[in-house]
Amino acid sequence: MTGFLEIVRAGQAPKGLSARSGQKLENLPDELFIRLDETGTATGYCGHVDLGTGIRTALTQIIAEELDLPFDQVGMVLGDTEKAPNQGATIASETIQVSAVPLRRAAAQARLVLLTLAASRAGIRAETLRTEDGQVLGPEGSNVRFTYGELLVGHELRERLDEAQPVKDPASYKLVGTRVPRVDIPDKATGRAVYVHDVGVPGMLHARVVRPPYGGWDHGPFFGCSLQSVDRDAVARMPGFVDLVVVGDFIAVVAEREEQAEAIAEALPVKWAPLPPVPDLSDLAEALRQNPDTPRVVSEDGDLGAAFTGAAIDLQRSYLWPYQMHGSIGPSCSVADWREGVLTVWSGTQNPHMLRADLALLTNLPEASIEVIRHEAAGCYGRNCADDVSGDAALLALRIGRPVRVQLTRAQEHVWEPKGAAQLMDVRGAADADGKLRGYEFNTRYPSNVSPLLSLVLTGIVPAAPVAVPMGDRTSVPPYDYDARKITVHDMAPIARASWFRGVSAMPNSFAHDCFIDELAVAAGEDPIAYRLKHLPDERAKDLLSAVAERAAWQPRPGPAQPNVQARILRGRGAAYAQYVHGTFPGVPAAWSAWITDVEVDRATGRVSVTRVVAGQDSGMMVNPAGVQHQIEGNVIQSVSRALKEEVPFDATGVVAKEWGGYPILTFPELPKIDVLMVPRQDQPPMGAGESASVPSAAAIANALYDATGVRFYELPFTPERVKARLDEALSPLSLPEMSAPMSALPRPGTQGPASVGWGQRIGRLVKVSGLAGLAAGGAALGALAAGMLPLRAPIAPVSKPDAALFSQAAIARGRQVAAAGDCAACHTAPGGTPMAGGLKLETAFGTIVTTNITPDLKTGIGAWSYPAFARAMREGISRDGKHLYPAFPYTSFAKIDEDDMQALYAYLMSLKPVENVVPSSQLKFPFNQRWLLAGWNTLFASSAPFTPDPTKSASWNRGAYLVEGIGHCSACHTPRNALGAEKLKTAYLDGGEAEGWDAPALSSLSRSPLPWTEQDIYDYLRTGFSSRHGPAAGPMAPVVEGMQHLPDSDVRAIAEYISSFDSRNEEASATRLDEAAAQRLAATAGTSLGARIFSGSCAACHEGDASFMFGNRPSLALNTNLFATKPDNLIRIILDGSTAALPSGGAMPAFGNVLNDKQIAALVAYLRRTFAPDEPAWHDLPNYIAKIRQTAH
Amino acid sequence: MNVAQPLELLVNGQLHTLAVLPTTSLLHVLRNDLRLNGPKYGCGLGECGACTVLIGDRAARACCTPVSQVGVLPVTTLEGLEQDGVLDEVQRAFVQEQAAQCGYCLNGMIMTIRAALNQGCVKSFEDAKQALRFNLCRCGTHVEILRAACLACGVMLDDAS
Ligand code: FES
Ligand code: FES
Repeated sequence: MTGFLEIVRAGQAPKGLSARSGQKLENLPDELFIRLDETGTATGYCGHVDLGTGIRTALTQIIAEELDLPFDQVGMVLGDTEKAPNQGATIASETIQVSAVPLRRAAAQARLVLLTLAASRAGIRAETLRTEDGQVLGPEGSNVRFTYGELLVGHELRERLDEAQPVKDPASYKLVGTRVPRVDIPDKATGRAVYVHDVGVPGMLHARVVRPPYGGWDHGPFFGCSLQSVDRDAVARMPGFVDLVVVGDFIAVVAEREEQAEAIAEALPVKWAPLPPVPDLSDLAEALRQNPDTPRVVSEDGDLGAAFTGAAIDLQRSYLWPYQMHGSIGPSCSVADWREGVLTVWSGTQNPHMLRADLALLTNLPEASIEVIRHEAAGCYGRNCADDVSGDAALLALRIGRPVRVQLTRAQEHVWEPKGAAQLMDVRGAADADGKLRGYEFNTRYPSNVSPLLSLVLTGIVPAAPVAVPMGDRTSVPPYDYDARKITVHDMAPIARASWFRGVSAMPNSFAHDCFIDELAVAAGEDPIAYRLKHLPDERAKDLLSAVAERAAWQPRPGPAQPNVQARILRGRGAAYAQYVHGTFPGVPAAWSAWITDVEVDRATGRVSVTRVVAGQDSGMMVNPAGVQHQIEGNVIQSVSRALKEEVPFDATGVVAKEWGGYPILTFPELPKIDVLMVPRQDQPPMGAGESASVPSAAAIANALYDATGVRFYELPFTPERVKARLDEALSPLSLPEMSAPMSALPRPGTQGPASVGWGQRIGRLVKVSGLAGLAAGGAALGALAAGMLPLRAPIAPVSKPDAALFSQAAIARGRQVAAAGDCAACHTAPGGTPMAGGLKLETAFGTIVTTNITPDLKTGIGAWSYPAFARAMREGISRDGKHLYPAFPYTSFAKIDEDDMQALYAYLMSLKPVENVVPSSQLKFPFNQRWLLAGWNTLFASSAPFTPDPTKSASWNRGAYLVEGIGHCSACHTPRNALGAEKLKTAYLDGGEAEGWDAPALSSLSRSPLPWTEQDIYDYLRTGFSSRHGPAAGPMAPVVEGMQHLPDSDVRAIAEYISSFDSRNEEASATRLDEAAAQRLAATAGTSLGARIFSGSCAACHEGDASFMFGNRPSLALNTNLFATKPDNLIRIILDGSTAALPSGGAMPAFGNVLNDKQIAALVAYLRRTFAPDEPAWHDLPNYIAKIRQTAH
Repeated sequence: MNVAQPLELLVNGQLHTLAVLPTTSLLHVLRNDLRLNGPKYGCGLGECGACTVLIGDRAARACCTPVSQVGVLPVTTLEGLEQDGVLDEVQRAFVQEQAAQCGYCLNGMIMTIRAALNQGCVKSFEDAKQALRFNLCRCGTHVEILRAACLACGVMLDDAS
């Protein structure tokens, strides 16, 4: 055993929020604070954790300072339930202010012990010794010198913490108070840091949870009991499947690999009971007023009745704060392992001990059998899903008996994180004509509990009851000196799932206090800063506010704001002051904070920019001023974001925003200039600095908005729509030259007539009258024809599968090219199936056609087909057995394939590996299920004429024509079909058709692409999968391009030459001009509508502006045909399903179908149309249209 | 298409052969198969940048890049910027400017600036902001991150920031 010294304290029952355990708290083990050993290094233990705020560094500084140890010889253990003391949750910025106190004492005490040890070793009095740099030194001139390590050799010392242990005089600090670089940053900048997301345990499985549809609520009669069924069999054979765990409404799938777990979770069929109506949050203020509450008067002084009687100024105001998200950048994650009677949980929790108590309840294990190991996670700023996911992981590890990692998705974190609660503040205040503050009556409603662990309520272990937790009282007492006041906090259960979020309840309360005082100042005709100074009793508050005013060069502005209502851009400046008071009322004050901020308001759009913030803070003693400064800056940025942009949208199902487009946060270009002023108070006790600077933010910005516009804002966030509506209502209308003239229209070819219903079209289109008429007429026509026609053709006798060795390698190679040019695999391969083995379902207006197996399998493929049978099928659409094939199979095109190519294709197909695959039969509707009718169809429409070259055209054009008209069967999709599903080859060749539910755009002059398709464009598109002047090959075109890789360059060029000859439009605009015009429109509209916000948050990273340093194609939407199309189908499909570039390096677009709802996509699509194709008519009825496409999407 | 296929991937100078579905995201392969934890999962939708790696010398969002899209290009992760224990200039700048709070977004910031620097895209403070405009940070570390970006790219900071 090596020598050591430990300073411990008897185990203490947890306080406050951590006292949630139902378990008896007896015989608690000792809590360790400091341990030094023979190596001369010290380790500090703290029950709080580093939430990315740098407290690990600050605590290290404190210990090193008290111990006189070099900084790098001190380590910290934070929040490990086995090792660190239980100090409750890391909340309320109290780590330095509260939790560091015993730690500092323990370090001082350890130093004293070391002095005593040295004194006895040297035989001199301890008072003559001093410590320095990890050593005990004797008096000047003596050679007494011991390192801490050598003093501990042979000792095993455990001392009780002396809670009265004197600590160093701050005046003598050398390390505390200096800007020490943070200990964690080098590892974070190199990828060495192990976040909880990075924890790997041997044999670890991956899980995904499947959450109920009532997204973001946490109580109600449906909660925990809405699951009706899960279809395990549907997923049990998926690759990597390990288990499906269902308890109450808790569902999780466990797989060997992460992407497997994702795929299984996505595929799992789950039936939920219909969701009963959930609270309507569309009128938030009303919802808060209606929510049952328990009024709690926290402060009452003076005679309020008298104060209001006869007051010269008597105002009543209501202030509304929205639900907001913590918005951690990393969705929560946890790993758990159940091994030899111990449950180990690696967690990013804020409160390891509280979590352990919850886990004990969840698993029915004693706390002693559970260890929570805390790792850093993405910043949480309050209670996010870090605990929830740890519960999920614990539950699964116990069930499965192997280590399990659970990673929440972005959507799950967005939807289920306990939100920062909405809050409603009603104020009535009175003042004398000379400004003296008479009375203040304040009512605040804060609907929140502490959000019980989700797995506890989903499994029904804890009832999902509406419980209120009294946390609405933070900074509920105004800092200003009113003669009489009554402060009432209406404690209430949550409406949506909510819990603490940075500046918990204080930010909203202070928003009300400091907007209100600003209004009183104006009513009294006084300067808002002078007025505050006059009524602030707290000297340090006054000092701070004065210092901030001086730094900002505040110009006194007595009396009402005088905006220039004719100007488009209005500028203003506002101030606010607050002290964050945390903990149960009356609470503990943290740092003092004051803001002066400048804003710019665009009256035309309502857009508000915060251009500058002077943020002052008095934090008392600062352990690490650099750390405090970063906290202030971080708070400023986050709170500007909250004030300007953030509001959780709800609908009848719950939280709507499932990604950043739906819940935008501040980005780099929106950053204000930030000037931080830190009052030097190193002689004063440290005050929490983690949240204070957020608290005055909203009031300062609202007051600046008033200064700019003369209009008061009582409701957050200050979004363009809200601001514009208020300004338009309150100010005289703004007369402006048109802000940005829409870029001039491109001349467009006349709009097409109604689209015809073709084989490629989806069932949804059948409701169209033209389609129905066509069907009826078609049936009649076919019936009439059938009377005189031979319905069936003779079968061709089966053969035994020709030996592939019969075919030359050259023929097979050529056949491979032919198959590639025709992209047989695109249709003859089922999703996830073997290429060419058939089974793809093609939805057509006439029913579902299932493609056939064209591998040479004797029974189920074409192995028994002789060449003549094959050629007949290809050219005439007659199956070997004599049945007619449906013209979804483009035999009308294939008739043009010449004999050599046809034989080569046969050779190639026969050389493939036979695959036994029975495909389901096609399901067509009457009369189309009558195959013999197709004989009549063929008589009407099919021509089995071979290809004839056009002597007036070049050889290469003719080669292109042969490929395109024949094997390439481009017209099968790109030519409209008549009511009977035949291509209108004569009248509308390549004028646009449909394919697998996609719009196949016109390749002729009717093309709606903003730039004409040149030969080079088509070549680029087909050869590389991307044309910079048009966009990427997506949807059904991606496999075509892939297939074309096998064609020689000359053939691709020939195809390009031929096709481009049909687009004779002139180049009317340049790509650059179109892009620039769109960029201007984007800039002019950014952030001003739901669609614009979704575009910026979800799409812009890959589709906005030039970012040549980003990988992938970055398709320009201003040049993309789909934005200009008559119908929005392709655009919607790409948004729903995403798309992967046909060839490597092009990149991919993720699917947004699961994270954006119909309303959001509709807003986005409408915005895209307005912005990128402004001269095209708007698409109508988008939400319904999108819902329909969703039903048919894969 | 949907069967695991052997696939070669050159990551941080090392060639790996993996049997994964071609549709698997590069991020999963890097983190789970190669245990490279620099790139982080933030959104899976290309919105936040936390997962950024270099493919070739450009910044790619690994969360929504199917591994099949890498092709023959080399991949570099945050770990691979460091050479023989010597930090890349961008990493050094971030350490020097203390540009992290929780640091979860840090990978994306560093890799994006590295890519922008590779293409010579950052010539001013404004360019630095533009280069990072699609990278999200919730801690509000923007000021220090921009300082680091400017330091790494050798451009002047806008004075009042
Ligand atoms: S995780 Fe890839 S961009 Fe967000
Ligand atoms: S430092 Fe935490 S998200 Fe950027």
